[in-house]
Formats: sequence, structure tokens, C-alpha cells
Amino acid sequence: MTLNIKNLHAGYGAKEILCNVSIPEIKFGSFVGLIGPNASGKSTFFKTLAGLVQPSHGLITINSEDLTKLRRKDRARRIAYMPQAFGCNALLTVFESVLLALKQTTGWRVQDDNLDRVADTLASLGLTHLANRGIADLSGGQAQMVAVAQTIVRAPEVILLDEPTSALDLHHQLSILTSVRNELNRKKPVVMAALHDLNLAAKFCDRLVLLRDGLILADGQPDEILALSDIGETYRVETALERTTRGALYVDARLPA
Amino acid sequence: MTIDVNAADMRRSYGAQITRRYAMIAIVFALLAFSFFLDVATGPGPYPLSTVFDVLTEPLSHGVRLKVIVWDYRLPVAITAVLVGALLAVAGAQMQTILNNPLAEPFTLGVSAAASFGASLAIVLGFSVIPAVGPLLVTINAFVFALATCGFILFATRLKGVGSETMILFGIAIFFTFSALLALMQYMASEDQIARIVFWMMGSLGRASWEKIALGALLLAVAVPFSLVRTWPMTALRMGEATAQSMGIDVARLRVEMLICISFLAATAVSFVGTVGFVGLVGPHIARLLVGEDQRYFIPLSALVGALVLSLTSLISKSITPGIIYPIGIITSLIGVPVFISIILSTRRERLS
Repeated sequence: MTLNIKNLHAGYGAKEILCNVSIPEIKFGSFVGLIGPNASGKSTFFKTLAGLVQPSHGLITINSEDLTKLRRKDRARRIAYMPQAFGCNALLTVFESVLLALKQTTGWRVQDDNLDRVADTLASLGLTHLANRGIADLSGGQAQMVAVAQTIVRAPEVILLDEPTSALDLHHQLSILTSVRNELNRKKPVVMAALHDLNLAAKFCDRLVLLRDGLILADGQPDEILALSDIGETYRVETALERTTRGALYVDARLPA
Repeated sequence: MTIDVNAADMRRSYGAQITRRYAMIAIVFALLAFSFFLDVATGPGPYPLSTVFDVLTEPLSHGVRLKVIVWDYRLPVAITAVLVGALLAVAGAQMQTILNNPLAEPFTLGVSAAASFGASLAIVLGFSVIPAVGPLLVTINAFVFALATCGFILFATRLKGVGSETMILFGIAIFFTFSALLALMQYMASEDQIARIVFWMMGSLGRASWEKIALGALLLAVAVPFSLVRTWPMTALRMGEATAQSMGIDVARLRVEMLICISFLAATAVSFVGTVGFVGLVGPHIARLLVGEDQRYFIPLSALVGALVLSLTSLISKSITPGIIYPIGIITSLIGVPVFISIILSTRRERLS
């Protein structure tokens, strides 16, 4: 199975944000990192895939099925999008907040297997100890973990994570992306994540797409993409790609002299 | 398999939480039933509880006079208190969810003030928004103005740059506007008319009738299923608009649908009893603290707590000075203002039990 994005144009009103974005042949079970500076169109791209922004042109297909034709609810069931994190003061527990994400597409009554799925999801993300905690009491990092849980509990075919690590310390950055990788290995969805940290992107992604001003500049394996001079130009820094003694890719970036 | 043990624990504690919620609902329901019965049993005429109970089960058991007192006067008042309390609290709870503001309710958003002005138009000028409504003139006028104000709020939420905090300021603006217009009406009114306006503004259950009860019950019978169908999207809305949208919810449409529903609830409630402030604030606030914000429990419990508050208010209004029934609006405001302030001051980081 593959997800195909072809000639996508989208924007707000007359302002076009995405210009002819094509990302072909995204294999199920792969982790695609979306990189690029702020305001390069990453969020708009995710919203367009999720159906929150209507494309003016272009195709989004799984195998040959056109996803833009789906009803809003059906689309949300198959493509789960996690927006950038915001605080929330609702009096709901973590367990309830994940349950409500699942219940949007599974009928009114809470069935036993709904509860099993919520419990499994929380356990797989290592959130068991937070299950009865109020979501308003969570730290930024914990809230982001819960948002990821709300996304994967729906067992979607495509998971879109908009900056899932932005509020997290190093431990939580690694643990969240490791959990997503585990989910990937278990259920083989497509995962696309917008990431600012190029070294994290190199560590976890199978494929990187470089976006700038709504255009795709490069698309390929992390070691190829991060070696390109485009990276430095896009972020307005000087970069050199190195390998650490433990074999990991490392982007050494400096401000231009 | 540690994961399975943890998962089972989580499920057990969720189950226990749900049981606790049903228990809360049952307790409040029992309190409401008790308060309702006391409300029927209390009044200027000192009849023993057993006598009143006899008349309730067998209307003519103690003569026509007692039947009239219990069935034509006390019972409609007691039922109206329960019904209006529930209507106001459900409207408040839904408004708070939709506008993402725990201070929103018919009174703070100016809906009650608009209704008062509509009523005063009828009282002073005999002007009717809808012609030929006869004795329902005051009620209908109040209803139309309340509904129009809800419509305005709906419109205001769709304006750019109107956040959840701004909505309450809009409410204050509406309140000031209608207060000024109301003052104008009072200036033009005769002494007798002023008395009627003031009486309206203080809120009273004395205008209760079986017809109004039937209408209110019918409305509740439509509104409750309408809300229940939307409980999951409404609960998701508490996670924030962006998150709700990402879950496939058409947030703009949900807001409009719910605001229309709320408008009818709020407008009906205030047109029946006049200005009764803060019940829409106190009911949901207590319900939220007891069961959290899963709307499947939050909405029914808000209704029950709102009904209990107004039923107790009705009881208090008769009990302070024997023979005198104080206006309920005064009592609910005295109870409600401290709650209003505590909500403003609370950091809203209360832990769930």
C-alpha cells in the first residue's frame, strides 16, 4: 500500500501556500519527516491532508482511492492529524480525553473494546501512570504525549504529527518518537511528522522531505537530504553532515560568518 | 505481562469513576425529589406534610379548597422551579462549552436583560412583537427579545477577533444597553406599571401555569436528545477548537446547532419566570466539580443541580418570613455572585477526584 500526493495546491483565500506539492509512493510502515523553516507550509500541508484546508488542485490517494472525496468523519478515521499543542483547562482525565478521541468515529455507546483500546494505547506510550490525572494538570510534555495518544488510538492509516517534540525535553523527545516508531512497527501506518530538530529527523525517519515557501526542494533518504547544500541555504546557516562515533548522522550547523 | 495488568487497572478505575458518577446523579436526584416535596408542602397555609401527601395522591381527599391550593397553586410553582432550573442550567452548561468560557450563562450574556426589556415594552406600551397573543403578551415579548439576543451572540461569535473572553464583555454591553432602555420604559411608566416591571425583574415563580409547564417540558424533551446525540463532539470541543477539528468535527456547524438549541432553552426559561440570574452558572459549576466534563454525565447532572438550586430557592423564598414570598431572583443572585467570583478567581486547575 502506498500514499500518493500529487500536484497539491492549497492556501487561504487568494493566498496560495502550497505550490504543486508532490510526494509520491509513501510506503505504509514508513516514517516521513517534513523539514523546513517556520512558515514553510508544513502545517498547511498537514491540514490539507487532514481535510481542514481544501486543496484548489491536486490528488491525495491511497493506492488508487481518492481521499479528498471522503466525508469529513470517514477521513478523520483514516487520517489522524495532531495539531501543534495548545493548553487546555477541561476537567477531563487523560483516560477520558483519549476515549473521546476514539468515540468521535465509533458510535455513541462505549463498548468494552473501546476501553481496551484506550488502555492499550496509553500502556504502549508509557502513560499508564497518568490515566487518572486531569489533563489540565499535565506538563507541556505530558500533554503532548496525550495528544499523540489521541491520534494513534484511532488506529488510522495515516498519522500526521505537527511538531510532536516541540515542547519536550530530550528524554521525552526520544521516548515519544520511539513510541511512534513502535506503533509503526506494530500496525504499519504511514507516519508523517514535522520536525525542527534535524538530528532527531535523521535518527527516526526513513525519508525526509524539505519544504520551503510551499515548494518541495528535496525528497529522499535522510543521509542524502541532509548532505545537500539546500539545507544550509533553506535554514540560512552553514551545515556539514558528519557521523558520530556511534554511527548516528549529525548535522553540524553554524551561523554564516 | 505488566502491560496487561496496567491496562486492567486503568479499566477498573475508569469503571469505578463511572459508578461514582451514577451515584452522584442518584444522590442529587434524591435531594431534588426531597426538596420538591418540601416545596409543595410549604406555603402560607400551615398544612401537615401527611395532608399534602394525601392531596397529591388523591386530589379531593381533603376537600376542594386543599385541592386548589396544592394542584392549582403549589404544584405548578414547584414544577416550574424544577423545570426552569433545569432549562437554565443546561443552557448555561452548553453556552460555557461552546463559548469556552465558564462564566457564560443567560444572565451574564445579557439574555435576561433583553427579556426584561421585552416584558417592559408589553407592560408599559402594550406593544407586542407578535400580534394577537392575548394574555401571553408579556411572556411572548420577553421570549422574542431573549431569542433575538441569542441570535446576536451567535452572530458575534462568528466575527473575527472575538475570543471567549470577549464574549462576556459583549454580554455586559448587551446588559447595559437593555438596562438603559428598561430605565427609559420605567421613566415612561405609571406607578402600577413600574411595580409590574420591578416584579418581573426580580424573578417570580408566581406566574407558573400548567400550559407553560407543558411547553417547557416539551422543549426539554426535544433539547435533551438533541444534546445527547452531540455529547462526544461537545466533549471534544473542551479540548480546544483545533483539536476538535482535527478529530473530524465540523466545529462551526456544531456551534450554530447548539446555540440555536440553547437560545430556545434560555429564552423560554427567562420568559417564564423573569430575571433569575446565576442558576446557569451555579448548576454547571457544581456539576463540573462532581463529575468532570464528560457531557454524558455533565449535562444531566447540571440539569439536576440547576433544578435543585431553584427548587431550594423557591423553598427559601417562602420560609424566610412566614406569609411572604420573596422574589427568587434576589435569592439566586445572592447565592450566585460568590460562585461567579470564585470561578473568576479559581485557577481552573482543580484536580479530578
